[in-house]
Amino acid sequence: MQRGLIQDSSQNPQKQQRDRINRVFARAVVVPTVIALALIAVLLLDTLYDTVSVQVVEVTETSGKSFALGQALTADQVIRLELAAQGKSEQEIAAFMSDPDEMRIFRLRNRVELMWATQDGPLRWVVSSLDDTRIKNLSLIEGLRQWNELKQSLNENQQLRLNPWLDYSFLTRDPSRNPISAGLRVALFGTIWLLTMTLLISIPIGVGTAIYLEEYAPKNRLTRFIEVNLRNLAGVPSIVFGLLGLAVFVRGMQLGPTLMAAALTMALLIMPTISIAAREALRSVPDSMRLAAYALGATKWQMISKVVLPATIPGVATGVILAAARAIGEAAPLLMVGAAAYVAFIPRGPLSEYTVLPVQIYLWISANLSEFANTAAAGIVVLLLTLGGLYALAFWVRRKYRVEW
Amino acid sequence: MNTSTSTTWASKKPGRSPGERLVEAILFATSLVSVLTTAAVIVVLFSETFQFFLRVPLTEFLFAPEWTPLFAEPRYGIGALLAGTFLFTAIGLVIAIPLGLLTAAYLAEYAPHEQSIRVKGIMELLEGVPTVVFGYFALLFLTPILQNLIPGLNLFNPISAGLVLGFAILPYISNVASDAMMAVPRSLREAAYALGATKFEVVTKVVFPAAVSGIVAAIILATSRAVGETMIAAIAAGQRPILTLDPRETIATMTSYIVQAATGDQPAGSLASRALFSVGATLFLLTLGFNILAQRIVERYRERYE
Repeated sequence: MQRGLIQDSSQNPQKQQRDRINRVFARAVVVPTVIALALIAVLLLDTLYDTVSVQVVEVTETSGKSFALGQALTADQVIRLELAAQGKSEQEIAAFMSDPDEMRIFRLRNRVELMWATQDGPLRWVVSSLDDTRIKNLSLIEGLRQWNELKQSLNENQQLRLNPWLDYSFLTRDPSRNPISAGLRVALFGTIWLLTMTLLISIPIGVGTAIYLEEYAPKNRLTRFIEVNLRNLAGVPSIVFGLLGLAVFVRGMQLGPTLMAAALTMALLIMPTISIAAREALRSVPDSMRLAAYALGATKWQMISKVVLPATIPGVATGVILAAARAIGEAAPLLMVGAAAYVAFIPRGPLSEYTVLPVQIYLWISANLSEFANTAAAGIVVLLLTLGGLYALAFWVRRKYRVEW
Repeated sequence: MNTSTSTTWASKKPGRSPGERLVEAILFATSLVSVLTTAAVIVVLFSETFQFFLRVPLTEFLFAPEWTPLFAEPRYGIGALLAGTFLFTAIGLVIAIPLGLLTAAYLAEYAPHEQSIRVKGIMELLEGVPTVVFGYFALLFLTPILQNLIPGLNLFNPISAGLVLGFAILPYISNVASDAMMAVPRSLREAAYALGATKFEVVTKVVFPAAVSGIVAAIILATSRAVGETMIAAIAAGQRPILTLDPRETIATMTSYIVQAATGDQPAGSLASRALFSVGATLFLLTLGFNILAQRIVERYRERYE
């Protein structure tokens, strides 16, 4: 019996093969997204994992004691116990603790911290000193696996502890060549200063450019040139902006490695981003709004400043926040304009020296000491949390103030 | 009311009063900042580079096998830095092109609306990770793993740096390429389906060729980003310029060399400092060339379908 003209394609081996490929491909297109998501997850977990390490330290006479959480609740109480353990009398302790200079020196030389685990048990207050020498710094898994052996091998001057690098005091300590006392305070202040200055410079220029191009610019070659130029500028590697800042601001204007030079450099870097976002926001305002303003007798600038600009605030704000997020994570151009130098003090003004979060992290990664990998990880967690906060803010602004025309 | 009404009105006409003209002038001035920036970049890079070439012959720059400006007998062969940049970028693209194009196909052809928003969110997340964090991840997570797998792999190497770079530039490929695929007219797809094609065949034999110029532009754009990427290279690929194509070696890219040179101390006007700017000029020309090429391709292809 001969078959009909229309064959049952499911019987055709060639068609079966094509269908199989089709099904495989439909699955394959999702794979990269899954890999990307997994990469982000591994990156986050690995960083968090690196913020904890197991240490064996050789302690000095004035350090190395640990106190149970029940004995002391605040760092001051721990200091009191520590002084008592050193054999000081009640009066001496009271005198010591009421003398701000003595306390400042004690805090500079020592670190009082609640450690997750020590050889004496979990959650103990530990007083550690800058003079402690660290014998081992092991990753969490490695350290826990060897915990008992390490504990056995300790002599009386040694201490074993599980050290959490990321805690509140990490944010408040100054930078140091000694990882145990290194902190983010200077970098945090530097980031806040730099971001504020950068935005103060780049928002007026970026938004001004956008208003000119959208509302005023005649359709001529100059306008076209500015537009093309703006787009190309957005594609210039950030390190090239760093070279520009080095030659023009640091050397040419003789600002040196200061916040001002950095802010001018960063402002030029993020200006195109802000400008492009502002142009999109301006474009989304319908012409009927403009015509209505004119019909009420408004001048062009009244129309723009009172009608168009208020309507673009959510769009511009979102763009500015995203540009700020980019600026916060940017390290390369700042390394060129002097953020690399070791800075021990928080900035006092626009002409101060400075360092910022990502540069501090880079310097820690480059330092050849395994514990700086731990402080770098702790710094990265702080940086990512800051960025996460900014992205959440941008998302919220976009959602809450979205204008539907 | 008197006759002055009409003059007031006339003076309020757009762009006529002095105040209005002042505002326009200020706004025009702000828009010139970007032009001045570009001009300053070009003047700075090329004046220093010109000074550099007064002292170092072009043949030395192009053909010397090493880049060692700080040695007692300095050599200035940009080839060593170009080779490093090439290795780093090529490994990044090997990862980013297939993953990026598959993601683009998913976004343009397969994903339902809410799913594509989620995927775009993940890509934005990837784009938002600071590159210093990627560098940390490459050096301290990926490199130890790869050292167990690949014998002879240096601590600083372009393989792990390039692998991570691939994920950093993946969003650029997926964004631009999916836009290009979505711009392919529906009628082409319908015609292919009518001929009995499977979805796979429609995507690979109809949509892909039709969008190929946009896809090429996406890849060029990502290449430009990769060439200019600094922190991943500086942290994980190394800062030792040698002319090699062995990916297990420590290398230096143009960007990582610039970072290394800038964090050292080089007095303004010294030949080493000028050499730094000549690397910057090469980097600038290369990325600008890629960007303009990508724009040209996108524009031409827009003309075809709009």
